[in-house]
Amino acid sequence: MESLKFHFTPVDAARPNAVNPHAQPTTDRPEAVAMLRDAFGDGVTGDETYAGETTVFVAKGRIAEALQRLHADGYSYLADLGGLDRFTEDDRYEVFYNVCDLHRGRRLRVKTRVDESDLHLPSATGVYRSANWFEREVFDMFGLVFDGHEDLRRMFMPEDFQYYPLRKEFPLLGIPGSLPLPGHLPGEDLSYDPFPAASSPTPKSFQEPEVSGE
Amino acid sequence: MADPLFEEGFLTTRLDYVVNWARSNSLMPMPMGLACCAIEMMAFAGPKYDVARFGSEAMRFSPRQADLMIVAGWVSYKMAHTIRRIWDQMADPKWVISMGACASTGGMHRCYGVVQGCDNFLPVDVYVPGCPPRPEAVLHALMDIQEKIRNDYSLAQDYTAGKIETLDRALVGAERPRIVAPDGNRIVTPDILYTQN
Repeated sequence: MESLKFHFTPVDAARPNAVNPHAQPTTDRPEAVAMLRDAFGDGVTGDETYAGETTVFVAKGRIAEALQRLHADGYSYLADLGGLDRFTEDDRYEVFYNVCDLHRGRRLRVKTRVDESDLHLPSATGVYRSANWFEREVFDMFGLVFDGHEDLRRMFMPEDFQYYPLRKEFPLLGIPGSLPLPGHLPGEDLSYDPFPAASSPTPKSFQEPEVSGE
Repeated sequence: MADPLFEEGFLTTRLDYVVNWARSNSLMPMPMGLACCAIEMMAFAGPKYDVARFGSEAMRFSPRQADLMIVAGWVSYKMAHTIRRIWDQMADPKWVISMGACASTGGMHRCYGVVQGCDNFLPVDVYVPGCPPRPEAVLHALMDIQEKIRNDYSLAQDYTAGKIETLDRALVGAERPRIVAPDGNRIVTPDILYTQN
């Protein structure tokens, strides 16, 4: 029944080196990799192309310079910036920068890795002003400190929150007593998140049903 | 004037009823639109579902002018303080509708940043289930609020004296507190103004 193929269903296993027919030529940028390798040498720690999209890995200390170089090359728009917790022993955190050249129609992804022992990395706000709130979000969620950011405060969580919620070890349901709620009456003291301890002193994150082995 | 209803206290009771009737038919919602439920709340206020039929079309974005807060959407811990502050700024008497699963229980947002139900910091009167609820459901919640206001405590009825306990339940058949006529055995129903016996 060749005619009844469901083209929207992913039937094939992932093939890293296969040609992606949907890849856009805008994202395949070997010349940007070559340009960065010429300029920074060992500062570029690697590159990969997956599904027609080029990613350059840059050493943490030189990420701001690399972005400055890309900006001068025409990648004048920082579309996105975010963090990842890879939960590995080395280079645990990763920060990605999606940069875009609106005039020539080019896109490039730059990544840098941050080890758990030193959570500092240079800020991109000196190059792209749009990095400001993105970096605040990464600081809020992962605790990475962007040196040179002029206003590195928490973005979403309350400013006195002590944890970094998107780290893998953070429990999904939160830590009891970490977030204040208004009291039940005006002028009453703050109460502390009643949800994890609502029905029992054990946090509900420890009571979640788990998939048992067969 | 043989009817015991027309004995002492009649005027006060009736005034209460009129006040409650006026309040219930001129609720001014404070639309606390926090997420997608706010879209349904707009439909609830719009011409198709038309909350103006119930006298609540005047949405007030100032807490000083509103007496019904509709919490529509999920409440984060950070937002809870703002909502509570707005609630404290609203003038009494005031009511709350917790609209949708997220505002009532946290809904699908079972995670660290979301308050698991806005009744953790607000005195909620009516919970509306749904994700999001249909505008009809919000209208029903509004009608429940209206019924609650119409059955509100009366100045003429001293509930602390226990008069409600002496009420003949078999005769009046009511479970919830209602306005009782001075003879003690008749409920002042919302249609009393139109009853001519």
